[in-house]
Amino acid sequence: MLERRLLGNVPWGMVALIIAIALVGLSAVYSTTYTEIGPSSLFKKQLIWICLGIIVMFAALVPDYHTVGRYAYVLYALSIFFLLLVAIVGRTGMGAQRWLPIGSFAFQPSEFAKLSLVLALARYFAEDPKGGGYELRDLLVPGAMVLVPLVLVMKQPDLGTALMLLFTSSLIIILAGIRFKTVMTVVVIGAVVASAVFLISPVRNKIWKSLKPYQQKRITAFIDPSSDPLGSGYHATQAKIAVGSGQTTGKGFRKGTQGQMAFLPERHTDFIFAVIAEERGFIGASFLIILYLVLLLIGVDAAKSAKDKIGTLMAGGIVSMLSLYVFINVGMATGILPVVGVPLPLVSYGGTSIVTTFLALGLLLNIQSRRFMLFY
Amino acid sequence: MRQDGPSDIQQRLPLLAAFIIFFTVVLFFRLWYLQVVKGATYQELAESNRIRPIKIRPPRGIIYDRNGRPMVENALTFDISIVPEDAPELEDSIAKLASIVKMKPEAIRDLLEQAESVRGKYEPVKIKEEAPWDEVALAEARQNDLPGVIVEPEHRRNYPYGGMASHQFGYIGKVTRSQKKQEQADTGLLVGQGGLEKVYEKLLSGTAGRRMIQVNAAGMKVKDLGIEEPKPGTDLYLTLDLDVQRAAEDGLGARAGAVVAMDPNSGEILALVSHPTYDPNLFPRGISPRDWVKLSNDPSHPLYNRAVQSVYPPGSVFKIVDSLAGLDSGKIDPQEKITCTGSLRTGRKVFRCWKKGGHGQVDFHKGLVESCDVYFYTMGDRMGFDHIAGYARKLGLGSKTDIVLADEKPGLIPTAAWKREKVHEPWYPADNFINSIGQGFVLVSPIQAAQMIGAVANGGVFYQPMLLKGTRNRVTGAEKVFARQEKRRAAFKPEALEAVRSALLGVTSEAGGTAHGAATPLAPVAGKTGTAQVIAQKVAGGKLTESTQDHAWFVGYAPADDPKIAVAVVVEHGGHGGAAAAPVARKVIEEYLKHAGTKTAR
Repeated sequence: MLERRLLGNVPWGMVALIIAIALVGLSAVYSTTYTEIGPSSLFKKQLIWICLGIIVMFAALVPDYHTVGRYAYVLYALSIFFLLLVAIVGRTGMGAQRWLPIGSFAFQPSEFAKLSLVLALARYFAEDPKGGGYELRDLLVPGAMVLVPLVLVMKQPDLGTALMLLFTSSLIIILAGIRFKTVMTVVVIGAVVASAVFLISPVRNKIWKSLKPYQQKRITAFIDPSSDPLGSGYHATQAKIAVGSGQTTGKGFRKGTQGQMAFLPERHTDFIFAVIAEERGFIGASFLIILYLVLLLIGVDAAKSAKDKIGTLMAGGIVSMLSLYVFINVGMATGILPVVGVPLPLVSYGGTSIVTTFLALGLLLNIQSRRFMLFY
Repeated sequence: MRQDGPSDIQQRLPLLAAFIIFFTVVLFFRLWYLQVVKGATYQELAESNRIRPIKIRPPRGIIYDRNGRPMVENALTFDISIVPEDAPELEDSIAKLASIVKMKPEAIRDLLEQAESVRGKYEPVKIKEEAPWDEVALAEARQNDLPGVIVEPEHRRNYPYGGMASHQFGYIGKVTRSQKKQEQADTGLLVGQGGLEKVYEKLLSGTAGRRMIQVNAAGMKVKDLGIEEPKPGTDLYLTLDLDVQRAAEDGLGARAGAVVAMDPNSGEILALVSHPTYDPNLFPRGISPRDWVKLSNDPSHPLYNRAVQSVYPPGSVFKIVDSLAGLDSGKIDPQEKITCTGSLRTGRKVFRCWKKGGHGQVDFHKGLVESCDVYFYTMGDRMGFDHIAGYARKLGLGSKTDIVLADEKPGLIPTAAWKREKVHEPWYPADNFINSIGQGFVLVSPIQAAQMIGAVANGGVFYQPMLLKGTRNRVTGAEKVFARQEKRRAAFKPEALEAVRSALLGVTSEAGGTAHGAATPLAPVAGKTGTAQVIAQKVAGGKLTESTQDHAWFVGYAPADDPKIAVAVVVEHGGHGGAAAAPVARKVIEEYLKHAGTKTAR
């Protein structure tokens, strides 16, 4: 029930911040997809997605987040079902099966899987009687919960999302309380496996061959951008030129030469930050980064002021997920991380990503709004 | 769901906050470094390091006949174009180019102006298409002197046989504005705008490649950075047979009309002709407004694909439907004889037989062989037209064959209910008479007629008429072959079909048969002529053409005992079906049967 009291508790400043970030993104989509005959259909679609997202965000405020927690496993099962479905009937885009056609729209189940995994892990750890100090064998069940969607997403193949699932769930496990010794064990095992992979050439070759050619190219291009100036290295180089040439004040709205002239690939989706940096300059780009910083810190505060474990874990998980998105995406556009396809939350073009992000933020608002309530 | 307090976890939240702040600081400094410290360097890179992606259009897929002979192909030509953004002194470049391509500078300026509203940034504007070799060589050699001028190789669509099967191939032309809106298509790209070129556009078009060149501030090429080869379109292998198609085209000659030849055992179309034709070669070169007006206003409608888009009264061809309707249901006794005196009186009206003196005593066989109108007036009136209409639909008339070509017309099979609704008149006995001999309201397209006679030939099986036999992906070499597709089976009593077939054979072989012109020494031919009056058309046709000559029809198949080809021919205003249409069918059948034994279709 959305009571009057609850309405008063909604952090409207945070809502305004969210909408502001979405509008910055919308204007960049407008600018970079503008055609000679006017605003593109992509811009109009993005506008619809954002409106839909805002509705979804407010809808996510209505049920008590404990109710959401109660359905966490159902949502998780549903997302696994969708991932299986996409493996069977999905639509292929850019050499990977990621989309489910629904009418004229394409739904990307892996986006939804990220959020439902966060919720399911939050529920698991909130109910776990041990309540922290986890050792490796305590992580069997949550580990399996991560592994199932991870493998399905890897199969698509979507390396970027798979990494996001792995990183996000690692952060949640750390928040839930893992022994320092266990962290070290995992790191050591990881290091041993990684070095074995790199040092034993038959294993290395096998893994290398299992990657799709475009993934191989991206990795070599990150190590040596000049190895493939037209392919992935091209993406990275052009993005860097776009960002750098924006200088302090930017080239101006719709004046970016890189983003406007199609030098920049994926410019309305994964590389949208480069467009913003080029047209708005250092001032605009760092302003956007600061908007994200404030939003994420408010999210941390929501986790801190939550009245119970599940609220804290949900909020913490959502914030972890969103911050990873922002940092990996911006890191990629500015050339400090390899090119993996990860959208910039609220800004990149894409229906499923926009709506899921708004849904996640709606839950965060939900937890924040109920911080003064008593639950029995 | 009461849980322990969150205090434990909340203690670790500062870790998350630290993580967020740390990364923000890292990104902030990275941006500072790229944009403020190195900003000028990157600005210079963006300015001077201009990388120009030049689209390389892929060659369209080749269209082959069923035996792998090209019917539509590409020719490599060169166009001379200008990229205005790359010409710092545009006027100078225009003046120099004008002397090379022997055009007036104003003409070049006009072309640039026209292109301005539709063109994307850095998209070249074609100044001279298919430039002669010496001009191309000059433009290339003087590249340094002609900033902004480039030579673009183009695979130009070529239809080596001109108007042959032009309606089926269609043509290609510039993308229209509405097509451009959907995807950010390449403005100069030519896409299928009709016929198979349009239907299979996705297969034929291929994927554009690009050449990355680095240009300096003057727009001159500094170096080639690399090339991404275009992926050529998929080749199509049609069911058409070049020889049969040519025989059909030659047979029809200068007369307007249509020919459909089909393999009755698979629905594969062997020849599909509509006359008059147009030259599809006019379109890829950008048809001139004068030529376009001439084509579209031509009273003989050369752009119209008569084989599927035109419907005609079938005349006596429709007696095949009457016959099956009567024999299959038992309403006609094949032994029963009626007397034809040359006309039949009913009430105050007199209906004439085409044979003035009359046919005398006529049984079913003689009635169909000699096409006795009085016999079918009698039987049609006895059965009632609604009964016949049911059989007509069973034979595929009145509905589209669903061939892939656009704007197919369903034709018309009238019923009493239809007439009440559309004409607001009751069904008169006279309607039974005239519709039974394929006049009045009945309208049939040539492809429907071919499908119908094919089903009579093969015992009632309806295969989907198909034009595409297979495809070959030129990049991967992957081949696909499309199997015949059975749509439905129409069941007829075997003895009814047998009686009809035997009469159809008599049409070309017995004394009194109306289509001796279709007979060939190569094989027995079964068929039926039709001579459809044009004058009586009031409802469907609308305006009368200058010519009031009858339309000539022939439908048939051969060999009569083992059908391999089914043919339908219409010659507009051709006069008598036996004289005008049957010989065309004979040529088609002969051409096909000549090879049928020796060459297996690939």
